Amino acid sequence: MDSSSLSSAAGLGTVDPQLHFMEVETQKQRFQQLVHQMTELCWEKCMDKPEPKLDSQAEACFVNCVERFIDTSQFILNRLEQTQKSKPVFSESLSD
Amino acid sequence: MADLAEADEADLQRLVAAEQQKAQFTAQVHHFMELCWDKCVEKPGNRLDSRTENCLSSCVDRFIDTTFAITSRFAQIVQKGGQ
Repeated sequence: MDSSSLSSAAGLGTVDPQLHFMEVETQKQRFQQLVHQMTELCWEKCMDKPEPKLDSQAEACFVNCVERFIDTSQFILNRLEQTQKSKPVFSESLSD
Repeated sequence: MADLAEADEADLQRLVAAEQQKAQFTAQVHHFMELCWDKCVEKPGNRLDSRTENCLSSCVDRFIDTTFAITSRFAQIVQKGGQ
């Protein structure tokens, strides 16, 4: 993952190079954190007994796991938004 | 020049407050994810089925209810203790 491909993906033109570097590194770090988190979660859900090879069932499960994780995050996000709109007092007690 | 600086500072404060709110909300979503993923998703399938969705909705709602119940109870205890 090199910084030039990231910057062109982000559509950045002429930016302060130091700021750009910081942003790219932060993005890389966030991505790696996510990979670690997902590996841990999906290992637990999809790996029963480690076999000599990564079989197709486990692979399919990992694919599903990542996708369902994203779906679940989106679902919870929507749910919280709904809740905040109807009961604004709860969002205050939660945000301590 | 002083008016310009004031306006800029107000804008900056608004921006910071907005970013803080966003960060808080994102942290909340992460928190709920940690709680509810384990409880509601057993083996990840092809899509989020309705059982899982209901469980996730319940998970979020019940956690909020629980927070509220515990907060109220503590408030009661503190009030009684003060008398």
